[in-house]
Amino acid sequence: MSQEQTTAQEGQAAEAALALEYAIPPRQRFNPFKWARREPFGAFGLVLIGLVVFLSLAAPVLRTSPPNEFAVGPPLAGPNADNWFGTTARGKDVWSRVLFAGRISLKIGIATVLLGTLGGTLIALVSAYAGGAVDFAVGRIADMFISIPGILIALVLHSSISADLPDLPGLQRQELYLVIAISLFFMPGTYRIMRGTVLELREATYVEAAQVVGSSSFRIMWRHVAPNMFGLMIVITSISLPAAILTEATLSFLGLGVPIGGLDAVPSWGADLSGSSRRFFSVAPWLAIFPGLALAITVFGFNIFGDSLRDTLDPRLRGRI
Amino acid sequence: MTRYIVRRLVAVPFMLLGISFFLFMLLYIRPGSAAFAAIGSVGDADPRAFENFEKRFGLDRPWYVQYGDWLWGALQGDMGERLTPPHDDVMGDIIEVLPNTLEIGLLTIFISSVVGVSVGVLSAVRRNSILDYGFRGITIMGLSIPNFWLMILVIYLPALWWGWTPARQWVVFTDEPIYNLSLAIWPAMTLGLASSAGIARFTRTSMLEVLFSDYVRTARAKGLRDRRVIWGHVFRNSLIPVITLLGLQLGGVLGGVVIAEQLFTVPGLGRLALEGVTDQDYPVVLATIMVFAFVFIIVTLIVDILYTIVDPRIRY
Repeated sequence: MSQEQTTAQEGQAAEAALALEYAIPPRQRFNPFKWARREPFGAFGLVLIGLVVFLSLAAPVLRTSPPNEFAVGPPLAGPNADNWFGTTARGKDVWSRVLFAGRISLKIGIATVLLGTLGGTLIALVSAYAGGAVDFAVGRIADMFISIPGILIALVLHSSISADLPDLPGLQRQELYLVIAISLFFMPGTYRIMRGTVLELREATYVEAAQVVGSSSFRIMWRHVAPNMFGLMIVITSISLPAAILTEATLSFLGLGVPIGGLDAVPSWGADLSGSSRRFFSVAPWLAIFPGLALAITVFGFNIFGDSLRDTLDPRLRGRI
Repeated sequence: MTRYIVRRLVAVPFMLLGISFFLFMLLYIRPGSAAFAAIGSVGDADPRAFENFEKRFGLDRPWYVQYGDWLWGALQGDMGERLTPPHDDVMGDIIEVLPNTLEIGLLTIFISSVVGVSVGVLSAVRRNSILDYGFRGITIMGLSIPNFWLMILVIYLPALWWGWTPARQWVVFTDEPIYNLSLAIWPAMTLGLASSAGIARFTRTSMLEVLFSDYVRTARAKGLRDRRVIWGHVFRNSLIPVITLLGLQLGGVLGGVVIAEQLFTVPGLGRLALEGVTDQDYPVVLATIMVFAFVFIIVTLIVDILYTIVDPRIRY
């Protein structure tokens, strides 16, 4: 083997090593099992979420009675073979109520984060691109919203607009109120994060590079800016969802949420923990335990899933949201 | 620094003006219903009574006159009178209940920062130990347990087990300080534990970040004892982001106080606000929420200024 050959080989090896170090890694196919092994908490959260979604959607076939039906069992019976979670003072089946209540939680939660995240992002885009006075005004309005605790905004909206809202298809008046009130919690925060991101992305070197090589602005938006925002939007959505569910329960608990009492009453974990049933908590603790436990498990599942989703999609955000 | 503080201070009245205008417009969208609700609770809803009511509280005037009037009064510390009989002075009611809310809020922040920071520090120093895993499990559960449910459990489970429950007949601090604290500790503890979970997690992350920084390695390399390194270098530096978090959690704490006051029957600002909403008594709603916003803005300002004191590197 000659001297030159060795050097050539060494050179090739070094080049290969360099290439390995600086190469863009090939796009890996997302493997859910690998992800689950790396993020066991997140996977467990996903299992819990799946369970909650399944139980609420399949509620009618899971040995439930209509949630508002009286005298399904004897009044204030403890958990037993017929009524797994016991019964209320009027003999309503707690198991059925807990399962059906999951529906309203998920519905309001999802509608809220969609409106909050999309609305916040849209406002951020408009404000960042308009700049100047518009940007300034929107920023100060966001400051204002951030300096009123969310529950209090909901209180004000309850006494102002809630009675005048229309019934939308699939979304009752009170539900619409909840969605608007709760999404107002998340909009200012989303707006702030998104505005920062848009401004940052606009100045990014790769956007500049794309402009230099003559990419159209649509292509730049679609290929370079949007993908970086989608990840963030998914993260914000998954982090806000448990908070939205919790807020719905809190507002319903305070009597500002879904209609309680009467035939069109909507079973809700928060509402079932409030009002008249509170009188019986010290004699019938299952009334207090099961709705709260269901709420806690749901929020817990979304929390740990959202956390690991954030770490997977955008580790830089750890500690920021 | 001084310029920054002055600039922030100047912004405060503008923020409050904006918030008051926004809230006013929202609440005055339906002025008729307010009068209606109030009259309805007094007696029959006769149209003449309705008119008289509107005249008495000036609700028949155009909105800008009403807002100007309200603003002029508010600047002099007059928040109007309640629409519901016996038409108390709103400011008087607020001054009566505000100390209770502030007491619970401050206790909550105290408990949550002490518990949160200690758990976070222990977790970080003994990272990946059983203690750390235990704490992390507990904190993530603490973040998921709804605080109103925790309060319900605190109230009703002891009643079930031992026939004892936290007393719910409020006594003000100036009357019986010790007894008052024994009452306030329950809502503060339940709220504080929930928000300490967030602080603990944040402290842990931030401690870990500092633990692996270059200056900590230098401090170790020059032979400083572990305790010196942890308290002198790591702890102080990792507290900086935690202070911001405390400021951010304030909104949650104030919201939680509203619920705590309701469940533990504490006569406070939150209960006053809820009362106002139920009675459609908007001078009460407007005034209480303005006070909440005022407290929030001032505390956030203090936190931001604290920030520059703790971390001299930050210059605005």
